[in-house]
Amino acid sequence: MSAPEPRLFGARVPRVEDDRLLKGQGRFVADLDFAGSLYAKFVRSDESSSDIFDFDVGKALACEKVRAVFTGDDFAGAEIRCVSAYEGFQTSSQPILATDRTRFAGEAVAMVVAEDEYAAEDAAEDVFFSVLPLEPVAGLDDALGDGREPVHAGWTGHAFVRRSMATGGFERVAGSAAHRVTIELRNARHGAIPMEGRACVARYDRGSGLFELWTTTQIPHLIRAGLADALGVAESRIRVISPDVGGGFGVKAQLYPEEVACCLAARELDRPVKWVEDRREHFFASHHSREHRHQVTGYFDDDGVLTALEADIAVDMGAYSVFPWTSTMDCGMAMGILPGPYRVQEYSVTGTAYCTNKAPYGAYRGVARPAACFSIERLIDRIAKHRGIDRAEVRRRNLIGPGDYPWHSPSGLVYDSGSLPESLDKVLEASGYDRLLADQALARAEGRLFGIGLAVFTEQTAHTTREFQQRGVPIVFGYETAKVRLDATGTAVVSASIHDHGQGLETTLAQIAADRLGLRLEDIRVEYGDTDQVAYGAGTFASRSAVLAGGAVVKAADAVGDTLRQVAAHRLEASPADIVIGQNRLSVSGSPGAFIETAELCRLVYQRPESLPRGVEPILEASRTYDADPGTGVYTNAAHLASVEVDPLTGKTIVLSYAIVEDCGPMINPTIVEGQIFGGVAQGIGTALFEEFVYDDEARLLTSTFSDYLIPTMTDIPDFAVDHLETPSPHTIGGLKGMGEGGAIAPGAAIASAIEDALSPVGDAVVAELPLTPERVLALLNRAQQQGDQR
Amino acid sequence: MEVNGRAVTTEVDGRMLLSDFLRGVIGLTGTHVGCEHGYCGSCTVLIDGASARSCLMLAAQANGSMVSTVEGLADGEQLSIVQQAFKSCHGLQCGFCTPGLLMAVSEMAAETASSPSRDLIREQLAGNLCRCTGYHQIVDAVEQALGSTSRGPR
Repeated sequence: MSAPEPRLFGARVPRVEDDRLLKGQGRFVADLDFAGSLYAKFVRSDESSSDIFDFDVGKALACEKVRAVFTGDDFAGAEIRCVSAYEGFQTSSQPILATDRTRFAGEAVAMVVAEDEYAAEDAAEDVFFSVLPLEPVAGLDDALGDGREPVHAGWTGHAFVRRSMATGGFERVAGSAAHRVTIELRNARHGAIPMEGRACVARYDRGSGLFELWTTTQIPHLIRAGLADALGVAESRIRVISPDVGGGFGVKAQLYPEEVACCLAARELDRPVKWVEDRREHFFASHHSREHRHQVTGYFDDDGVLTALEADIAVDMGAYSVFPWTSTMDCGMAMGILPGPYRVQEYSVTGTAYCTNKAPYGAYRGVARPAACFSIERLIDRIAKHRGIDRAEVRRRNLIGPGDYPWHSPSGLVYDSGSLPESLDKVLEASGYDRLLADQALARAEGRLFGIGLAVFTEQTAHTTREFQQRGVPIVFGYETAKVRLDATGTAVVSASIHDHGQGLETTLAQIAADRLGLRLEDIRVEYGDTDQVAYGAGTFASRSAVLAGGAVVKAADAVGDTLRQVAAHRLEASPADIVIGQNRLSVSGSPGAFIETAELCRLVYQRPESLPRGVEPILEASRTYDADPGTGVYTNAAHLASVEVDPLTGKTIVLSYAIVEDCGPMINPTIVEGQIFGGVAQGIGTALFEEFVYDDEARLLTSTFSDYLIPTMTDIPDFAVDHLETPSPHTIGGLKGMGEGGAIAPGAAIASAIEDALSPVGDAVVAELPLTPERVLALLNRAQQQGDQR
Repeated sequence: MEVNGRAVTTEVDGRMLLSDFLRGVIGLTGTHVGCEHGYCGSCTVLIDGASARSCLMLAAQANGSMVSTVEGLADGEQLSIVQQAFKSCHGLQCGFCTPGLLMAVSEMAAETASSPSRDLIREQLAGNLCRCTGYHQIVDAVEQALGSTSRGPR
């Protein structure tokens, strides 16, 4: 069977979802208005670690329009647990509402439900309880010491888990290396911060015992699985629907207590219960990310070739293990990907996921890879400095080359393909590197601090069964599902287990389906986000959706196409093998006059079953799964180049230019790919320069508005230069690789490199901490001056 | 008040926010609330032609005003020039901040000389946060809509 000619694959078609979003006709969870809805407001703890007791909800309950006030004991039967299979893992149990102990500032302790949001918010101020603050594990400094009680009773020490691994030759190679450098690196805790916060509406139908949860999630089926556990209800009694979602980036890829609480309240009160997070709650209680400390030692020869790598990784995972990832995700990812794009073969690493009295820690675009990229790229820059080699040249000497694939990394990953040296060379071109060097020379002659920075990375994407089996997670995220159904008018509905919250999958999956079914883009409707539509699937995260859902759509569409061919062959008195699908018709190869319109054929299948050949059922529908075998992931790579200017008086850094060359294999829609990259890079610039959740010594969060937690605005971000390489994966349908996260991985490293370069005429100051706020840059400038004075 | 050209007469609590009024009382949910403290710009509407944060304003303050929201931009199925430019240039991803941006750009279109520079566009729209796009393609869209580039239909 020959595949139809691709027509829409690779085309820069405008997105099909845009019209409704541009007209204000999107349907977001906060827009839903079910008859009889009640509105929830959560009362949250101001303290991190505290004993709470003597609840008094009488005054709140007496408020006008208030229908119920729940406290921890009301929901004591439910909890969120996510236990890793890793040996020695210490687990946590997250209550839906804290009962007698709070473990992070912002943890919900009571839920007020009223007839409107204003009444609920008013009454929330009338919930009283006594608080006895305890000495918290306020962060990694406390967790690394031994003076504090563990966050959870019965624990030994503060680690969820500690793991180590080393290659057999590490000691020998490291011991005999000509040179070594060690750096300590810090990445501040920050988060995804989508413009839409979280929200949910729960409905319970007493007659059928069915829960229906509308929620802002990237992972509807996994939320159903988590709810089934938390509620003690069969999955057949739960429907999770995630409609239009205003950005996710990982923070909406965990089960949250508020979702469980709204379900329980809806059942108790027999009314829909709606909750819309406010921005302050989002800062306090939506999951945080990115907080890593690494100590990294590189062993290398006279030519700057890295021969062995040693790392100690610590991640502050906050108070609870999150569903469905557990609290091991960031640490494990960092341990695995730290060697990055380099040919180093010997590796020794220890990684520890710590439990502290901060907000729980979940996924954020890139998951640990920004920190890993920061560490290895900073190390490579130090090696360049140590050996007096150009930063691009030292990378060329170490990068995995085109002949090295499949590359078996020393951490056990298998890189399938890539174009690392080519992407590096190409980014020098795309950035106008020679002109930048000229600009830099001019700036330095004027005494201005102008720097150029570089970062290269490879990213594991669309990893499935084999990879997640090794990660000790309770649910192995192995595949995605797609269902394709042709109707009697010859148009198709594609249902997918992934979710689209801005990535354009509604369009790219339609492009794929239209090509396979020989239809036009407008003949395809893509739906997602409803657990009743397809059997199972993990959802959208880990740069997997285009690869896995795309593959599943190809398989399902081809299965439907096979049925079409059989029926068409019967009608046209030809062999199914000779039937060609395309241009809204099925025709006999080599006989242009012998064809039947797809719409006509579909009508026959459904409405004239007597016209079907024997053995063919009157249904044009197929569900298929796709797991991108062998499941070890497909590797996207990119090189980023930034130029910056640092103001020596204020320490403020301005990003002057930013160039990206990326390789995600064949692109379904290059415009959408570029949008994903630009968005990721802007978030990475936030990581590099602005974003930080600041806690005080008692683990109380100090940054709770957009005036003290800064995300990049339009004037903070330059125009981008972008170019592509398209190295197909040998593993996947269409050679596709994932690319949703990549943009966010390298900016921290590239901008740190640029700032270090900018300061270099003053002196050598190792840039090893993000974000590079004006305060930190001034401290670096100070250090550079002292170093320069000694020189 | 008049909302998108239609008269609206009703009584509201003195403390009701304009954003809650538009979304909850008259069902215009295209105006989105992203931060409730005036920073993100998602809830931007036009009051008598001037942009305003509907989350920082009481509904009662708009008494007697002409309020324009995203729902009033398109002419039936036909997207406005600004909307079409956002679509052509991929100036939106999740679409949550988009209505506020469209209103801010509409104000800019009325007040700014044609063909603004990219720097001026960035300066004028810096009060609208977007977390998805990285802004580049939004600037492309505004350039196209305000006529400083001939790319695409106007």
